[in-house]
Amino acid sequence: MAIGDLYFWIFAGLALLAGIRVITSKEAIYSALWLLTVFISLSALYIHLRAPMIAIFQVTIYAGAILVLIIFVLTLLTRPDDKMGEFQHNVSFRGFGALTGILSTGLMLVMITGITEIVKKAPVPADLGSTGSFAKYLLNNYLIHFEIASVLLLAALICAIYIAKKDKKAVTQ
Amino acid sequence: MITLTHYIGLSLILFGIGTIGFLVRRNAIILFMSVELMLNAVNLMLVSFSYYRSEMFGQVMVLFIYTVAAAEVAVGLAILISLFRHIKSIDINQFNLLKW
Repeated sequence: MAIGDLYFWIFAGLALLAGIRVITSKEAIYSALWLLTVFISLSALYIHLRAPMIAIFQVTIYAGAILVLIIFVLTLLTRPDDKMGEFQHNVSFRGFGALTGILSTGLMLVMITGITEIVKKAPVPADLGSTGSFAKYLLNNYLIHFEIASVLLLAALICAIYIAKKDKKAVTQ
Repeated sequence: MITLTHYIGLSLILFGIGTIGFLVRRNAIILFMSVELMLNAVNLMLVSFSYYRSEMFGQVMVLFIYTVAAAEVAVGLAILISLFRHIKSIDINQFNLLKW
């Protein structure tokens, strides 16, 4: 087995194991830590796919920002007495959920294996995914989208502050 | 030899895990984590297509998905905090304000 294949299997297995633990852990904080494992192993796979920029974004944005935000909110909203690690009580609801996930995954697998026959492996240019070529491609072709994304982030920021703000009327009542 | 099919399989299984997690858990924050798992599965598929087709577009798309994911988490968690003030719980079965 080539070293690249071994690399893929290690991190793919780690991502799958951690993904399953995310949805089966009893404590939400363990779910968050397993989610961190998923993010890091996906970041390793991005390096295997010659996308070092995306790997860095994955670590800084997901593991660094989003997960920290989730853990903050988790510590704010968790009370020691509630049993929030549980699954849905309704058994038929749980069965329906599992069935939906398995069926949709199977369906997509069947559909998409037909597509992969069309995609032939083209020779990979040496600078695919390097910082320079990524920035050139992004700012030459998608400058407007890039600026709109920054406006979207600003809107989300203002919206988040406004929603999470304490309602003064509710406090005085 | 690792082919595109391997990556697509991994990505779809991760997406399926996220779907199941979203449908069977009760804790609203674990639901959020399941959504993140699904978004990450999509990102993995985009990057693997980008590599196997030797095109940069997939990676740029992933950058925009990161933007949307960050906005989604910020607004979603703010809504969750505001809901927690009213209902004092993060059990999604008790979020029935819009149900009639």
